[in-house]
Amino acid sequence: MSLELVGVKKSFDGVRAVDGVDLSVVKGELFVLLGPSGCGKTTLLRAIAGIYGIDSGSVVLNGRDLTRTPMHRRNMAMVFQSFALFPHLSAFDNVAFGLKSRRVGGDEIDKRVNEALALVRLEMLAARYPNQLSGGQQQRVALARALAVHPDLLLLDEPLSNLDARLRDEMRVEIRELQRRLGITTLLVTHDIGEAFAMSDRMAVMREGKIVQIGRGADIYHFPANRFVANFVGPINEFPLTKVEQVSGRVLGLAAGELKVWLPAETADHSVETEPRLILRPENLRVAVTEGSTDNSFMAEIEDVVFRGGATECRLRIGALKLFAILPSADAAALRAGDRVTVGWNAADGVVTGAR
Amino acid sequence: MLGSSFSADTSGSRARSALAIFVAPLVFLMAVGFVWPLIQAFVNSFHLNTSHGIDLEHWTINNYLRLADPLYLEILLRTLRISAAVTAITAVLAYPIALFIARLSPRAQSWMILAYVSPWLVNTVVKALGWTLLLRTNGVVNTLLLQLGIVDTPLRLLLTETGVVIALVPGHFMFALLPLWTAICALDPALSWAAGTLGATPSAVFWRIVLPLTLPALIAGLVINFIMNMTAFAIPMLLGGVRNMVVSMLAYQLDLISLDWPLGGALAVTLLAFTLALVWAGQRIAVLGIAGRAAKI
Repeated sequence: MSLELVGVKKSFDGVRAVDGVDLSVVKGELFVLLGPSGCGKTTLLRAIAGIYGIDSGSVVLNGRDLTRTPMHRRNMAMVFQSFALFPHLSAFDNVAFGLKSRRVGGDEIDKRVNEALALVRLEMLAARYPNQLSGGQQQRVALARALAVHPDLLLLDEPLSNLDARLRDEMRVEIRELQRRLGITTLLVTHDIGEAFAMSDRMAVMREGKIVQIGRGADIYHFPANRFVANFVGPINEFPLTKVEQVSGRVLGLAAGELKVWLPAETADHSVETEPRLILRPENLRVAVTEGSTDNSFMAEIEDVVFRGGATECRLRIGALKLFAILPSADAAALRAGDRVTVGWNAADGVVTGAR
Repeated sequence: MLGSSFSADTSGSRARSALAIFVAPLVFLMAVGFVWPLIQAFVNSFHLNTSHGIDLEHWTINNYLRLADPLYLEILLRTLRISAAVTAITAVLAYPIALFIARLSPRAQSWMILAYVSPWLVNTVVKALGWTLLLRTNGVVNTLLLQLGIVDTPLRLLLTETGVVIALVPGHFMFALLPLWTAICALDPALSWAAGTLGATPSAVFWRIVLPLTLPALIAGLVINFIMNMTAFAIPMLLGGVRNMVVSMLAYQLDLISLDWPLGGALAVTLLAFTLALVWAGQRIAVLGIAGRAAKI
């Protein structure tokens, strides 16, 4: 147990930005707050840092109640989206800033700044000023500045969104490796699903100031708590279910009013009043399979085939129902628009959720 | 940068002639209304004033030597003293007030800025009259000080340098406040947050982050403030009186009462050179503040 949030609420001018968040982050874990813009994730991060006071609830770090502690006494460090390097200080002095604030001695400062700069491989550029550094280097200085103070909690606010795509992928790996090596408890805010999956031990998906689901990336992807999460973390096929019934120990549903489909076994308790939906990930659809080799199979017509490198996207139609499938390009080489094929999936590959 | 991108453009010459049409009236106005009289004053300052008018035949630096007169030096010193006092008080007040305003809601900020600009929108003579009512022996200020028991006898504020300083501070405060307030508002709030999360107390955030990053703006404002103080006329005239004469009043006397244009010209040229030197120095400091970090490498 490292960070414990209980019932954290924060409003701005009567608008709820964070609406009752409970969360516990384990020591040494990299935890991601994921959500669309305006979901309150950055506000929550700033509230944890103490930049904003909270209206109610509590923030406890390693057993210390920090709810009323000012930010400069929380021993956290934050990396900002804009990096927020001090433009009038060299890279060295930027990194030394937190140590000087903590009244660390001069020799110790030199040692720890050089250590931190070495971690991000910037020892050579210590004398440079922020405007003489590239975006990636600035990002590294910001990271070194945060690590140098040996914080109890590292907060990263969309730290990669100001970098170009290639650099972003590099920094993703680099930050993750550093975090693991130092075993530093880290909270990262992002709206980028790929970043969340690639970097997190666990994550929370936020919406309208609340946490909708907490779990490992794979669990959230494969077993979304609701339609919002399913849709937010990846592409989906979605069909309303108008009937759900038990048939000889298995669950049968009527999808989109016309397809009889076998559903995952655990969905039996979904009543029709919750407007249940069947959600299928496009990569779980099998295209051009032998009829009967999957639990559900239907004849479909291919509308469009789009080659995307390793994967191929395929748009299909079962009667009037549109489907979107993603399959390995090796399996898709023979597919052409207009072909009639069998499309199928196993009952366990679907997820049934309520409309919200 | 802008000029070179203009000339690189194929329609550059047309853009330039369009620009010339817009700029021409201003250039004309400045040339006729400012540059020409200035040249006249400059030329006059090197000739002697005689009973038959200005002797344009002979050149002399006599006028400049006459300015070294102790009487004139005393006036110059007083002007510098008053201006420096006003600028110093402004410098002390600028940060607290600018920081206070920058933390208000945007709406409240515009009202506050309007309030601080308003003294500049009021006629100086009216302002001076207002100050007379406040500062005289039985005025508001003295009544208040007496009733609070801070002083036993009324302070003499009118017709003193103190009175002039008191009236000039709010009158010219906006010249320092506006650039400083703008600079503070333009600071990325994440800089203060970063410093705070790294363990800096609120006062350390001010001294180590906010002050170094906004000081050039304050200095730029203080230079303008100082120049405005040096050239103030109505307030020193009406609140200081002839016994506390400042340079602007001397120039008025020389040029419009004694009609000694050569000496007036010498005074004008000296003051202009002095002021330009000050602006240059102020800008050097401001630029060094910004570029100093690059220069250190």
